[in-house]
Amino acid sequence: MAQRNNKYDRQLRIWGDHGQAALEHASVCLLNCGPTGSEALKNLVLGGIGSFTIVDPSRVEAADLGNNFLVSWENLGQSKARSVCALLQELNESVGAKFVEESPEALLDSNPSFFASFTLVIATQMPEKALIKLDETCRQQRVMLLVARSYGLAGLVRICIQEHDVIESKPDNPVDDLRLHKPWPELKRFVDQFDIDAKDQLEHQHIPFAIILVKVAEEWKAAHGGRLPSGSKERAEFKAAVRARKQSDDEDNYKEALASAYKVWAPPTISSELHSVLDDSAVEIHSTSTDFWILVAALKMFMANDADGDLPLDGAIPDMHSYTEYVVILF
Amino acid sequence: MASAEELAAIKKAKILMVGAGGIGCELLKTLVLTGFRDIHLIDMDTIEVSNLNRQFLFRKHHVGQSKAKVAREAVLKFRPDVNIVAYHANVKSTEFNVEFFQNFHVVLNGLDNLDARRHVNRLCLAAGVPLVESGTTGYLGQVTVHIKGKTECYECQPKPAPKTYPICTITSTPSKPVHCVVWAKELAFTRLFGDKNQANDLDSQTKEASSASEQQVLPLELQEGESVASFAFRVFDYVFGHNIEAALKNEDAWKSRRKPVPLYLNKILPNIAEEFKGSCENGARPENSCSAMSVLGLKNPQEVWSIEDNARVFLKSIEILYATKSKAIGTLVFDKDDQLAVEFVSAAANIRSYSFGIPMLSLFDLKGIAGNIVHAIATTNAIIAGLIVLEAIKILTSDFNHSRMTYCLEHPSKKLLLMPVEPFEPNSSCYVCSQTPLSLEVNTSKSKLRDVVEKIVKAKLSVHSPVIMQGSNILYETGEDLEKDMVLLYTSNLDKFLVDLPTPITNGTVLSVEDFQQEFSCNLHIKHRDEFDEEKEPDGMILTGKWLTSQTPEQQLNVPGGPTEGNNVVEAVAGETKTINDELQEVDGDFAEILEVNTVADKKRKIQDEEQAQKRMRVSLDER
Repeated sequence: MAQRNNKYDRQLRIWGDHGQAALEHASVCLLNCGPTGSEALKNLVLGGIGSFTIVDPSRVEAADLGNNFLVSWENLGQSKARSVCALLQELNESVGAKFVEESPEALLDSNPSFFASFTLVIATQMPEKALIKLDETCRQQRVMLLVARSYGLAGLVRICIQEHDVIESKPDNPVDDLRLHKPWPELKRFVDQFDIDAKDQLEHQHIPFAIILVKVAEEWKAAHGGRLPSGSKERAEFKAAVRARKQSDDEDNYKEALASAYKVWAPPTISSELHSVLDDSAVEIHSTSTDFWILVAALKMFMANDADGDLPLDGAIPDMHSYTEYVVILF
Repeated sequence: MASAEELAAIKKAKILMVGAGGIGCELLKTLVLTGFRDIHLIDMDTIEVSNLNRQFLFRKHHVGQSKAKVAREAVLKFRPDVNIVAYHANVKSTEFNVEFFQNFHVVLNGLDNLDARRHVNRLCLAAGVPLVESGTTGYLGQVTVHIKGKTECYECQPKPAPKTYPICTITSTPSKPVHCVVWAKELAFTRLFGDKNQANDLDSQTKEASSASEQQVLPLELQEGESVASFAFRVFDYVFGHNIEAALKNEDAWKSRRKPVPLYLNKILPNIAEEFKGSCENGARPENSCSAMSVLGLKNPQEVWSIEDNARVFLKSIEILYATKSKAIGTLVFDKDDQLAVEFVSAAANIRSYSFGIPMLSLFDLKGIAGNIVHAIATTNAIIAGLIVLEAIKILTSDFNHSRMTYCLEHPSKKLLLMPVEPFEPNSSCYVCSQTPLSLEVNTSKSKLRDVVEKIVKAKLSVHSPVIMQGSNILYETGEDLEKDMVLLYTSNLDKFLVDLPTPITNGTVLSVEDFQQEFSCNLHIKHRDEFDEEKEPDGMILTGKWLTSQTPEQQLNVPGGPTEGNNVVEAVAGETKTINDELQEVDGDFAEILEVNTVADKKRKIQDEEQAQKRMRVSLDER
């Protein structure tokens, strides 16, 4: 376990344990092991896929020695698939290695269900007619297909997948959903503990900006029949109300409050894309549903039964200028 | 596909590769398959397990052997007819001098640190050999081309200085995990296991604390007859307990900061003495262990341990280090591949974090911070290696119009994953490759040589050990082996006005400034001027020629998506590495300047970088 962690340390730092596990559960089928296919498979093998199978009918010729380092002169005349398979296995002993000495087109014709057992098929240097058939077969059997061709200094890669779902998306810009416009009971009670007009300077400048905004928003709602600021005039008035509570010029929490004031009147809404996912027929889950759709179904139930149509809170909060304790409690 | 001309150039090319790691393995393979037959390869490193996920020329049984040598052998297996000369050596060594570099048609770098890159850059300039530079970090990568006289050299655009932290942040007021890691590495680990003679802030803090509690004089030293376990217990109580209490006495420091909490073993692990006795009896003898974690049953390096477990690892790792490496104690240097060192540093950092209210991290994450580990995969290196070879071929066939700087992004920008940009012309005021001399306006009767040396040569040109000459006369130089009478001469020269020097400096004189260590040289054309504005020109001297004065992080590589300075992303060392900012700040005060940039500045810079890169993109695309 420690050895494996050490070997994969540098890539674990990119995609973590779950990513590595996904790799290790993958079985890959490579069609044609010329230089394109061999190089592609080499990178996957180094990364630690579960297993691979090479399908290639050809024999090693002199010309191959010049452009594919996974065949050697000792293999001249022998099966290219066998040669590449053996050398790839050296790169990573944990990866299962097999080969089939047959042409991919022939295999596609005689035994299309061969492909069903793979996570991914990589088809290299294959003619379009065969690719169309391969694509149909893969889609039917819910196998991912990757098509690659190279011609001298040009090449192409094409991904053919029916549906690809991502659960751990790691967005670059996380969305803060602070519910400033609609504080739930516990948050309200917490906010009530604060006095944003406190005289103690240290105290005043450490009130988290979220608290300030909730308080001012509550006051606004009380004065405006339960409404939130709308229209540029009212929004300006709201900001002025926030600004009026500032006690000195370099209170960072107030700067943050003013910068985030828009979150009070423009809370995150449920996008149309999210609606289309929620309304997709796959939400009617059954025994073979993927994890992704099960989660979506659960989300739909939550929103309908527990949350009044709202999305669950992410729980992440942005950096706030404040005492650590307050931020921890907020979290 | 390749023209006859290209094939001929490839066949007879002599290539120098510097680096046989991630990029190096892919590059050597691609070069050889492309038809290159004469390659020299320099790399000073040995193979480690963590290399094996991408440096595919190496196998498990090669761990510990020379990368350059093993790479050569692996390639010869599938191309026995090529000539590869492997050097297990440091490229900075004197055997790789200008004459050596002159043997090659092109130099290809696959390095992982700024220092070596700059060194190779200067040698390539001196030898007049084109250089193809490159770097990768995870999914990001780049290839740049440097041809003397035609394009920028590698140093024409300043590279971001490695990150440093103010010393007081490390010793007294940490606020982030990385501060605690630096403390654990540079102070705690060094004090306990490294060079004891090195001045260490832990000593002064502990002295303060120990005089307060009337303890022994050297609490951080193993006493005669003392068990390692009791020593470890005492160290814990001092560095996490007494020292913190002493620091708390300075009320000013904690006015607007959260106060750290002193930690003592009798509170955190009241039964620790029993635990230690028990573990020895159970057969987990320290001298047979190589990991505190595994002895303690902590299996998952990605788990964040409790404060109690962190304390256990801290103590246990000290015990095992003493049991297994007693001879090396006093000379150990932190090595990210040393499991015990990593465990000690992680535990120490976490305990300190806990004390200061900073979130604790897993060993995995702390190891990354402590070891400046950069994430890496095979594919980016393969892409970059391919691009390097393409650029090399263009250089060999003198197809300079098509030379490109190519940036490999993680996500497509304007639908492009590889962004080619035309190289810029040399920066005419680049310190290193500048062809045009600089001009210095100065009142030669009123300014002394010392002023020129301090204010211009050292401060503005960043030359650290200058040799200043007029013609063949040396007016000033620094060094250790200088003869006494020369030193006297130079000292007296410093105090003379320029016109009064043994070889007078007047209008039209050309001064040469050199630094042999940096292989840097430039000429200053002196222009006499009588008057200088006291307010606008307080130095009384003006150096003309546009240049990039301060090498701040604001001036980064113009790459959309951030800097890709090879594997040289962050060097969190408190005060060890002298950066340009250190030099500038020494004038101002004791502490190195904080180079932390806030997120707003980061975003602005990112937008600026993208705009600039797009402008350039448009230029090169317009040509097609």
